[in-house]
Amino acid sequence: MIAQLIVRNLFHRKLRTLISVLAVGVEVALVVVMVGLTTGMLQETAKRIEGIGADIMLQPPSSSVFLAFSSAPMPVRIRDRLMTIEGVRAVAPVLLQSSTSGGLDVVYGIEPESFRAVSGGFVLHEGRELREGYEVLVDDWYAAARKLRAGDTLRLFDHDFTVVGVVEHGKGARLFVPIRTLQQMFGAADKASLFFIKCARAEQTPRVIEQLRALFPRYEIRPLKDLLSMMTTSSLPGLDAFHRSMIALAIVIGFLVILLSMYTTTLERTREIGVLKSLGASKAYIARIFLAESALLCAAGILVGVGFSYLARAVLTGLFPTLSVQITHEWLLRAAAIALGAGLAGAAYPTWLASRRDPIRALAYE
Amino acid sequence: MEPILKTENLWKVYRSSKVEVPALRGVNFEVYPGEFVTVMGPSGCGKSTLLYVMGGLTQPTRGRVLVDGNDLATLSDAERTRLRRHKIGFVFQRFNLLPTLTARGNIAIAQHIHGNGFDPHRFATITRMLGLTERLHHRPAELSGGEQQRVALARAVIHEPKLLLADEPTGNLDTRNSEIVLGMLRQLNRELGQTIVMITHNPEAAAYASRVVHMRDGVMVDGIPAD
Repeated sequence: MIAQLIVRNLFHRKLRTLISVLAVGVEVALVVVMVGLTTGMLQETAKRIEGIGADIMLQPPSSSVFLAFSSAPMPVRIRDRLMTIEGVRAVAPVLLQSSTSGGLDVVYGIEPESFRAVSGGFVLHEGRELREGYEVLVDDWYAAARKLRAGDTLRLFDHDFTVVGVVEHGKGARLFVPIRTLQQMFGAADKASLFFIKCARAEQTPRVIEQLRALFPRYEIRPLKDLLSMMTTSSLPGLDAFHRSMIALAIVIGFLVILLSMYTTTLERTREIGVLKSLGASKAYIARIFLAESALLCAAGILVGVGFSYLARAVLTGLFPTLSVQITHEWLLRAAAIALGAGLAGAAYPTWLASRRDPIRALAYE
Repeated sequence: MEPILKTENLWKVYRSSKVEVPALRGVNFEVYPGEFVTVMGPSGCGKSTLLYVMGGLTQPTRGRVLVDGNDLATLSDAERTRLRRHKIGFVFQRFNLLPTLTARGNIAIAQHIHGNGFDPHRFATITRMLGLTERLHHRPAELSGGEQQRVALARAVIHEPKLLLADEPTGNLDTRNSEIVLGMLRQLNRELGQTIVMITHNPEAAAYASRVVHMRDGVMVDGIPAD
């Protein structure tokens, strides 16, 4: 009976119900998409670095696992010492620079030969490998997003680069230029930001890491098979705070929308409350009606929010093919719990008011 | 026989800022099971206040109200709600139906609140007696005033209350519908033995009752047998 009353009340005020449901939907989608965007980008970056095929990454002391924030070049000649370590088969120095032309992209300055030795080489979709000068290789996602073909010109760091080839994605960065070009442009002759190390056999990795730690005690030495688990939002300063801010914003939206909606509902239905009380409805009975109505609004909003999230992902990745939005069941559930919690908290005050309303005043309400 | 309803020196004083307005000033009144009593009086004489106090919707300032032996003045809010749920039915001048529910839903929700579940036999008896069988799937907005008041009547008696309190039940109805509703109240009283206390200022409506009492300035002024 209560269910019938609730559903009919919700349909009685269609526009208010629709607005409330949409607002809760936006709340859910805000959480899911924002978290999905950041974790998606991190995980996708980690996968790309793992996809290089190296076993170990060596960086200067206090370097971030997020390569876009790395600089602090090391001398390339460190490679010679690395090659003397037993079990090391190949070492590829990489100089990193972040390009902000059309988004934040990490550009790898590489030596084509050593990078091939570590990674097994690029899979070319078109064009040729890097040689020297102002040449750039782009991966297929970047090429699709920017509509680039081999032979086109791409402006990076205020220079025109010739796109010499389009390669399969998943080799660390989306853009590769000769290391010497990057060194000259940024006054970092014979410097590298990191070294990718390939072991002769994968099982030798722990032993090589031990030796590296002995030789380079303060350096960041990371096995790449663990990179995926290291690339979490808590590894990046500020990102957790950003997540918390987004969630707080979502909670406020859900709380206020349901508070306002249920407050106007209780005002509008004051006489109805009086009638129910005259029939002997207890405070708990009245409270159950309004809380259940709020929960139903939230549930509908959550379903809409899940739909919004997938729609937003489709639109975002359609507009920006290099973006990755990771929607997980865990965060869908969390967003649903946040929406439901905020909604019920928002409904608490109007429900309290409704349940305590004086029946005679309520019956006389115009 | 014990009265089903008894008031003893009943006072109700409304306080508005520093002004005290006594609506009831020592009302003594008794209703016995199976009676149909009308309380008549001019506007502002305290009739509706008396009805609300007798129905446990508000507390008296002083005095006692006994409903089926329970002194409302000593009951907590929750206990008065429980008593109302099981022993009292209300009919209001403005029908007060829930606009989103059908006639059937409006009647059924009273049974739901009562807590004994849906009783199809009682439901059929009452709706047939009140001539609502064909109108049960309509919402209040689709019903005439007389039909709405009959739905309100069905809702008030569906859980077999000991006492039916009607506050100007024909106040919003035309003459024809007033006669129908009053006839049904009398039918409920005679056929089902329903005890009824009706408030009205209309002498024609009062004539349907078995006993008429008059109120003026918050007190009962007499008790006159109507037959």
